[in-house]
Amino acid sequence: MYMHVHFWGHEFKVNVVVGCIGAFLIAVLSSMFGFGGGPFMVPLMAVVLGLPMYIVVGSSLLAIFFSTMMSTLKHYSLGNFDLDLFLVMFPAALLAGWIGPKIAKKLDPLWVKRVACIGLTLLGLSLLGMF
Amino acid sequence: MSRKHLLLAATAAFLLAHVPLLHAADATTAAEDARSALARAPSISIDKNVLDNGGTVTVTGKAAPGMPVFLEVFNENRVSGSYFDNKPDKEGKIPYKLYLAKDIPAFYRIHLPSFTQPVIDKYKKEGKGWSYLAALKDTGGELAYREPATRGIDGYQASMSATMSGSRGDPLPALDGKDRARRSMQIVKARFRSIEKLLVANIDLKEDGSFTAQVKIPDGAPPGKYFITAATDKNAQSLPVTMENRIAFPMRYMSNAGTSLNIVYPFLITLALATFGVLMGAGGGFIINPILLMFFPLPHNVVAGTVTPTVLFSQASGVANYSRIKFISWKVGIAMGLATLAGAFIGPILTQMITLDDFKFVFGWILFFLAALMFWQTTPGYIAKNKKEQAILKEFQKRAEAAARNKDAGVLAKV
Repeated sequence: MYMHVHFWGHEFKVNVVVGCIGAFLIAVLSSMFGFGGGPFMVPLMAVVLGLPMYIVVGSSLLAIFFSTMMSTLKHYSLGNFDLDLFLVMFPAALLAGWIGPKIAKKLDPLWVKRVACIGLTLLGLSLLGMF
Repeated sequence: MSRKHLLLAATAAFLLAHVPLLHAADATTAAEDARSALARAPSISIDKNVLDNGGTVTVTGKAAPGMPVFLEVFNENRVSGSYFDNKPDKEGKIPYKLYLAKDIPAFYRIHLPSFTQPVIDKYKKEGKGWSYLAALKDTGGELAYREPATRGIDGYQASMSATMSGSRGDPLPALDGKDRARRSMQIVKARFRSIEKLLVANIDLKEDGSFTAQVKIPDGAPPGKYFITAATDKNAQSLPVTMENRIAFPMRYMSNAGTSLNIVYPFLITLALATFGVLMGAGGGFIINPILLMFFPLPHNVVAGTVTPTVLFSQASGVANYSRIKFISWKVGIAMGLATLAGAFIGPILTQMITLDDFKFVFGWILFFLAALMFWQTTPGYIAKNKKEQAILKEFQKRAEAAARNKDAGVLAKV
């Protein structure tokens, strides 16, 4: 039930059952709908499992990386992958990974979150046909 | 030999002698039918053979007077489509059958006589749940529906256990002609969705049997050959006329998505949204997926299946960076990673089983949940807690980086 973890001189107790069920559900949704599950995996580890941020940042990314890898393979084998579209989006995503951190330094993260919050709500409403 | 036997023998002989004759008579009528059908077959011609990223072609022809004429238009490119049958049957049992066609035409449309417009309007009012099969029957367009019914369809009996083991389900026996045509209609409808795309009532019929119609190939339609056939009944079709749709850079045909796109737009959209994703720390997938679906006629499974690998590389570089400074708990990451492997084994199969509307509905709620998370992260309580957490995180990260540097230095010193 509990897993003991040593990390940078500290010891933690991790409830693996809860962690694995949560991770499984996040992976089903993120692979089904094609997003990385990071924003859900971080609160799962930090809030639900009560782990400190410094263990969560890297480990959540590793857990999600497994999911994205399997999801990519599955989508590819089921014929859901379009090479032409990928070749258009991939360079754009790489460029974004380079530009993003540069802009991030100049912006107040609180305001970014507020804008994101409003944007996501509007996008959600429009997906439900209410906006 | 008794008289009875004689009678029987005579009857048998008579029958035997006449059976081939009966067959021959059948054959003659069939041949006559075919000949007369051929004679009844409409003639057809088009005013141009080359289109430049779509355009309108005028189709003219002549059919037997008084007969309604239907045009079948399809593109040579092929795309896949699926239909998940989860509507309760007459006994209230849900079939849970997945029908998958790998090579339906990337563009498909039937033109109907203009007098069928009221029927089309009736089905338009039904909204998303309109029935292609019923609309084809009601308008008579059914007799022009030929091409998709000739393409192969694989059926699967989906089940919870099959999905859990990562398969679509047990293969169903091959579909027979009529069932196959019906299923192909459901797949075509699931793929092209709107009645405006599939049925157009604009064939102008004259009393003498001549007809004209404008066939509009929209901007963004697949490139390559288009075939147009005119039909007045099931056996009376014209030979197909063909035309070519050409597209040039920056238009590009997305072969799996079945649509041509000006690649500048998806590039800019991905760049902007992925950058914003980096800023809010949530990856671009959450916004890129719905926005792509909103602006382009892409199937949701292709969007999900193509955005996923673009995320893969940024995650890989992140994992590499954290692992370099030993900032990953491999025990936690791998334990939960194995659980995500199992989850991601199932998700992509489910993508194919849901419709675009289901996809949008669930995605909408996921975004509300994410927005709530984001909101929570702007509340004072969270900010205060996070400040402390971030300070500790930075301190540990500094130590980890120093340790990694020292180790590198140590290795160098040894060399």
